Amino acid sequence: MVKARRIASTFIGGIQCVIGGFASALSFLIYINDQLRNMFSITFEEVYLIMFILLVFGMISILSGMLLVWEGNGG
Amino acid sequence: MTEKRLKRELGLLQTTMLGIGGAICAGVFVTLGYAATLAGTGLIIAMVLCGIINLFTMLSYAELGAAIPSAGGEYTFSKAAFGGFFSFATGWFEWISNMFYAAFSAVGFAYLLSYVIPQINVPLTAIITIAIFTAINVKGVSETGRTQTILVIILLGILGAFIAAGLWAGSGEGTSAVVTPQGFLGVLRASAFIFVVYLGGEAIAVAQAEIKNPGKTIPRAILLSCLALIVIYTLVTIVVFRVVSPSELAGKESPLAYVAERLTESMGLGSIGIGIITFAGITAALSSVNTSTMAHSRVAYALARDGYFPKRLFSVHGRFRTPHVAIILGAALTAAFAATGIVNFVAYATDFGFMIGFVFVNLSLIKLRRDKPNLARPFKVPLYPLTPLLGIATSLMLIFFLDAGTLFMGAQLFIFGLLAYYVRMISYEVGFSAIAGMNFGVSGFSAILGYLVVSDSLPVALTLETKWLVFAFAVIVSVSYLVAGLLFTTRRRKTRDE
Repeated sequence: MVKARRIASTFIGGIQCVIGGFASALSFLIYINDQLRNMFSITFEEVYLIMFILLVFGMISILSGMLLVWEGNGG
Repeated sequence: MTEKRLKRELGLLQTTMLGIGGAICAGVFVTLGYAATLAGTGLIIAMVLCGIINLFTMLSYAELGAAIPSAGGEYTFSKAAFGGFFSFATGWFEWISNMFYAAFSAVGFAYLLSYVIPQINVPLTAIITIAIFTAINVKGVSETGRTQTILVIILLGILGAFIAAGLWAGSGEGTSAVVTPQGFLGVLRASAFIFVVYLGGEAIAVAQAEIKNPGKTIPRAILLSCLALIVIYTLVTIVVFRVVSPSELAGKESPLAYVAERLTESMGLGSIGIGIITFAGITAALSSVNTSTMAHSRVAYALARDGYFPKRLFSVHGRFRTPHVAIILGAALTAAFAATGIVNFVAYATDFGFMIGFVFVNLSLIKLRRDKPNLARPFKVPLYPLTPLLGIATSLMLIFFLDAGTLFMGAQLFIFGLLAYYVRMISYEVGFSAIAGMNFGVSGFSAILGYLVVSDSLPVALTLETKWLVFAFAVIVSVSYLVAGLLFTTRRRKTRDE
C-alpha cells in the first residue's frame, strides 16, 4: 500500500510538473505568437490577464508536483 | 555567523563609480528620441528635474546607508524599520529586478556586439558575458570595483569627448533655446519616460558592507554620483539639441549614435561617431552587468542571513571572502533568463521593482527617525520630513506613469513573492493543507471549464479541434489534481521527533 502510494505520488507529481512547465511556456508563447493568440481567440488586451493566470497556475503546479515527488521519494 | 566576514575594500572612487556605472545603461542611448518628441528642447529641463527627483530618494539612501552599513541595501533598511513581509517584499523585488537587469544588459551587450561582429550567437555571447562577470565577482570585491572603475572611466571618457566635441563644433540645425511643444505637461511626461536613466545608482547601498569607512564614504559617493549624473545627462542633452532639432530624433532607434554621426561628419571625420557611441553602449552594458551581479548577490546573501532564503546562500568564500553561492545561484538564473530570450518580456518589471524600492526606502527613513531617534547617523537628510515625503510622492507618481503591462508584471512578481514568503514562513502541515486545497480548487475549476467548453457555453469562438484539445487538457488537469489533493490530504503526518 505504501509502495503504491509512493508510485502514485511520484507519477502525479511528475504530471503536475510537466503541466506547470507547459502552462508557463504557453504564457510566454501567447505573448510572442500571433497565431497562437488567434487559435485561442485571445485579443491583445486580454494577453496580460491570460499570462497572469497561466503563470500563477504553472507555479502552483510545479510547487505541488515537486512536493509530491519529494513525498514519493520518501520525503 | 556574522557578515563581518565580507571584506571592506571599496574606497570613495570605486564606490562612486559603482553608482555612476549602475545608472548609465543602454537607456540613455535609446530613450532620448521619443522623449524629445514629448518635451522638445524642454527635455533639458526634464533631465534636471529627474536628477532632482532622484536626489530626494538618494539622500535617504545616504542617511540610511551611513547609519546601517550592512549588506542588502533597501532590504536591510526596511528590515530595520518594519521587518516581516514588508522587508521581505523589498528584498524580493530588489533581487528579482537586479537579476532581470543583469540579463537584460548582457543580452543588450551581445546585440550591440553583433552589429560589429555579425557572426556571433547572441544568447551564447550573453551567457559567456554573465559567466565572466560571475568569475570576477567571485574572485573578490576589489576586482569587481576595479573592473567597474575601468569600465566607467572609459564610458565617461567617450561621453566627455562627445560633450566637448558638441560644445566646440556642434552647430548644426539645432538650437539652445528651450521650446516645449506640449508645454510643462510634455516635460512631465518626458520626465516619467526618461527617469529610467537615473535608476541603478542605489547599487552603492547594496554593497555597503564592503565599503571602507562607510559613515563618510557612502553619503559622499551617493551625492557625488547623483550630481555627476545630472551634469553628464544635462550636457549630453544640450549637445544633442545643438546638433539636431527634436523633430529629427523622432523614430530613431539610437538617437545618440545619429547625433554622433552628424557631429563627426560636420567635423570631417565621416561616420566614425556611430562606432564610438556603439562602443560606449557596449561599455555601459558591461558595467551594468557587473553592478547588477554584485547587487543581486548581496541581496540574496542578506535575505539568507535573516532566514528568508536557504542558509547556504549566507556563506562566504574562504579565500576570496565574497558570497560565492549567492553569486553563482543568481548568475545561473540570470543566464537562464538571458538564454531563453524571456528577458525582453520581463525587463520592464525592473522599473516597477526599483520604484517600489524607492518608496520603501523613504518610508523606512521616516519610520526609523520616529522609532530610533538615537541611532547614530553620520549623515542626515536635509529638510526632513519634506525630502523623503517628496521622494515618496515623486516615486508613486512615476509608478502611475508606467504602462499597464509593466504594472501587471509587477503585480505578478508581488504575488510570487507573497507565496514564497508564506511557503518559507508557515509550518509544513499548514503548507500541505493549503496546497491540498489549491489542488481541489484547480480540479473543480478545470472540471467546470471542460464542461463549459464541450457544451459550447463559453462566449469564445473556438474551432472543433481547439475545443477538444482544451477539453482533453481540462480533464487531465481535473483528474490529476483531484488525485494530488487526495494524496496531500491523506498523507501521514510527521511528528516533531521525526
